[in-house]
Amino acid sequence: MSKYILPAFIGIVIIWAFIKKVPVYDSFVKGSKESITLILSIFPYICAVLIAVELFSLSGLNSYLAKIMSPVLTFLGMPSELCEILIIRPLSGNGSLALLEGIYENYGVDSYIARCASVIVGASETVFYVGTVYFSTTKVKRLRYAIPISLVACYVGAVASCILCRFI
Amino acid sequence: MNVVFTIMIIASLVMLIVVSPESAFSIMISGASSALKLAFTLIAIYAIWLSVLSLMEGIGLNRMLNRIFKPITKRLFKGESDLALEYITLNFSANLLGMGGAATPLGIKAMECMQDGSDKATDNMILFMVINSTSIQLLPATIIGLRSSAGSNSPSDIILPSLIATIISTATGVVLAKLCAKLAKKEQKKAVENPMPKAPLYIQNTVKTGTVKK
Repeated sequence: MSKYILPAFIGIVIIWAFIKKVPVYDSFVKGSKESITLILSIFPYICAVLIAVELFSLSGLNSYLAKIMSPVLTFLGMPSELCEILIIRPLSGNGSLALLEGIYENYGVDSYIARCASVIVGASETVFYVGTVYFSTTKVKRLRYAIPISLVACYVGAVASCILCRFI
Repeated sequence: MNVVFTIMIIASLVMLIVVSPESAFSIMISGASSALKLAFTLIAIYAIWLSVLSLMEGIGLNRMLNRIFKPITKRLFKGESDLALEYITLNFSANLLGMGGAATPLGIKAMECMQDGSDKATDNMILFMVINSTSIQLLPATIIGLRSSAGSNSPSDIILPSLIATIISTATGVVLAKLCAKLAKKEQKKAVENPMPKAPLYIQNTVKTGTVKK
């Protein structure tokens, strides 16, 4: 069912536009042009963030931090195997998907740990990516309390995920 | 951002110098090249969504959606223009439907409409970012796909807990953001009501240069 929604939606918009005499072809040319200028302003931010994230996850600092943090997780009643994915989740979307696949392989897809990890990844976002990309075309340099609050909210969601997975 | 970024890079580099110094540079290059790859994919995705978006603008679909959701968005984002509310509504709808590729350019446009020209993010901008970074997806399609390809017995088992967890995290984020906005406003008011007693000129000057250096 859901696979029909996207093409149907775009199709309806195009037909509707045609009936209303909105120039379809010109809109696509305009949209594609806008896309390039948008990427030009986003790219420097993505690049800087990804260099740092790659260094962080491949240097082994990530798993080292995970080891230090694992008692905190046990204290909160979460499986300590989730430490690494919890640290990477706000930094890198691809990184957390790769870790998720690793967890599926090591513990089994339908295990409690794997289900927790799935819910955590599904119910949160790449906070640092959103923080850099969304503000990239504005003059804003100081995000004030934006990132701490986003992180706290995401981790509250993560703790809730583990509790929910126990009952559902 | 600057502090987090610097700490992350320095700590990782120190770690790498101890563990394997020869791989440090290639890791940095691989980070930059994955950014390049991502940028190319994003150009393609945004080209399509920005085109569809401009069509939607042309037929007035944006205004219609905005009219439906305005009672909610207007209360959350007080004092924003109609155009900003329009982009916010569209961004939320795209997020809810799991169309991340469409949500990002809309979010950027919403931020552009909300900025007040200063280098500090406004309370509304922060609230918007917080809601976006707690994911308000109804159906985590990517994860369900991953689970079914890994051979799960019931890949869609996680839909309900994900939905509840998302609601919890978004609600926490909104409440905290609103609370912080209130606190910030109070502090500002205090500063206006009792301005600092004027110090002798030489002290004022040292204070000024002190803050500039910081």
